[in-house]
Amino acid sequence: MPQLNIVQAINDALKTEMRRDPTVIVMGEDVGVNGGVFRATENLYQEFGPDRSIDTPLSEAGIVGTAIGMALNGLKPVAEIQFDGFMPPAFDQIVSHAARIRWRSRGRFHVPLVIRAPYGGGIRAPELHSESPEAYYAHTPGLKVVIPSNPYDAKGLLIAAIRDPDPVIYLEPKRLYRAFRAEVPEEDYVVPIGKARIAREGSDVTLIAWGAMMPVALNAAESMIAQNVSVEVIDLRTIVPLDVETVIESVKKTGRVVIVHEAPKTCGFGSELAALVNDKAFEYLQAPVVRVTSPDAVIPQGRMEDYYLPDVGRCITGIEKVLSY
Amino acid sequence: MPQMTLVQAINDALKTEMRRDPTVIVMGEDVGVNGGVFRATEGLYQEFGPDRAIDTPLAESGIVGTAIGMALNGLKPVAEIQFDGFMPPAFDQIVSHAARIRWRSRGRFHVPIVIRVPYGGGIRALEHHSEAPEAYYVHTPGLKVVIPSNPYDAKGLLIAAIRDPDPVIFFEPKRLYRAFRQEVPEGDYTVPLGKASIVREGSDVTVISWGAMVRVCLHAIESLENVSVELIDLRTLKPLDLETVLNSVAKTGRAVIVQEAPRTCSLSSELTALINERLLLQLQAPVVRVTGYDVHMPYLTMEQYYLPDAGRVKKGIERVLSF
Repeated sequence: MPQLNIVQAINDALKTEMRRDPTVIVMGEDVGVNGGVFRATENLYQEFGPDRSIDTPLSEAGIVGTAIGMALNGLKPVAEIQFDGFMPPAFDQIVSHAARIRWRSRGRFHVPLVIRAPYGGGIRAPELHSESPEAYYAHTPGLKVVIPSNPYDAKGLLIAAIRDPDPVIYLEPKRLYRAFRAEVPEEDYVVPIGKARIAREGSDVTLIAWGAMMPVALNAAESMIAQNVSVEVIDLRTIVPLDVETVIESVKKTGRVVIVHEAPKTCGFGSELAALVNDKAFEYLQAPVVRVTSPDAVIPQGRMEDYYLPDVGRCITGIEKVLSY
Repeated sequence: MPQMTLVQAINDALKTEMRRDPTVIVMGEDVGVNGGVFRATEGLYQEFGPDRAIDTPLAESGIVGTAIGMALNGLKPVAEIQFDGFMPPAFDQIVSHAARIRWRSRGRFHVPIVIRVPYGGGIRALEHHSEAPEAYYVHTPGLKVVIPSNPYDAKGLLIAAIRDPDPVIFFEPKRLYRAFRQEVPEGDYTVPLGKASIVREGSDVTVISWGAMVRVCLHAIESLENVSVELIDLRTLKPLDLETVLNSVAKTGRAVIVQEAPRTCSLSSELTALINERLLLQLQAPVVRVTGYDVHMPYLTMEQYYLPDAGRVKKGIERVLSF
């Protein structure tokens, strides 16, 4: 089985679906002739031509708006927004239109659209290239939000997202694009949307993460072995719809929860998880839910991000906090 | 003291600040000659002229972008976005620019703008006219978010927002614009940003709300017998007056949060998380959230099935009492 990194797995998912289904197209800034700034769409232009691998102007609202129209008329567009920080110009098209058309038309129309965006910090980029905007889309009814953390899931979740009949925001942790390789089957397969994965079983603490925080969480769990602490690590994979059952089952077992995310804390997705644990597992809690997140400030530029993003040390501090309560 | 509705109090706040400070201007769709779709800017064009009461094209992104430029160059613009549902076209200007310029310039520049928006449901409007988008802006670093629930606070908070050196999103609960009158002082006064108000003291349950839901909560509380409910009106959602919230919940041990917005990843989630973080051992029951549903706000009369009402608030209170 080939060993692929995440960006290769994404490229493989796009190729696989474009070969299988002639209505699937990709579009975005530099996705065609150039092959994408991160090479996610490499060679799609060569194999599928300019009608299915479309270079657009630098206009995110135009990209998403055009993709909505294509989706309503029988295509399955996979639109790329080149960086997370370029999503706000498309915000109106995403939340006021893509997310609402099924509802607005009482189910007569739907929008099978995937919006792919490289997402999160860790690559020491300039402003507007390191954002974690998942909470905006999780709060918006009518959208699904998917965030893979490894090559196998990246391919299977992207194929599932393309086949989904409704709009999916597909955020790709860019710092993991080339961080490691894993076995990825050549054929087509799906990882179902809405199912979390228990990345590591444990019994003392539940550590919940997604995207680029997964390797950080797993390293923190690993280093707790020395202290004889068994940490269960959950990779949400999809934040909307959320796999509440997997989260709550784990919390009932451990009684202690730490949530890790890159986004600012206030009204981040960690707040919803903490609230759900309060709703559904209140009497099982041995300690208050701890959120290890970025501070409520804009992500800083260059290497200053090291002081902003959660790291293994901060995860361990969080784990120790729920253990010592 | 004059009795004013909430929309009159807003108009009065704008007039008061525009008379006091020549750098304050209003701008937006129909705010000038017409006086605003809800009459919030009535008489400003006549008194202050077209340079200070500016009719803009129908381009929300342009309104906020222009206001940012004005603010950076010495004016204090109060920009109106005509309805909550018209904010997404301005989202990029708000979150990628207004909210970041102090940070981006390491404090050399700041953006003293207020973005006023009629907000929320309850007037049986069409799509994009009944949204409760506060969570987007509370999640965004660099913004303040304010929502008054009565005429007195509306005037004092708006004056405070205009004098604030940084961008403030000022949501006005449109169903309360003409719902009732209250004494509003004529002179200038401020209600400080970041301070909640205890609308009603109580000892058994804390109900936390803001905007139009405060009145709904009051109705619910008045119909309950033998339960002493403390009602908190947050007034400012960011910065949050956590101290007032926590002191109350520490006293009552039970909390119900009431909001119009969809539940998932909203301010009610954050409040629940904060109360759990700080007061887990004092809680007698899980925090209950009474919210809109995770679907879009329906049109016209259907909205009554969507928005929390006194009955749903009462059920929430009964739930935390019977746990």
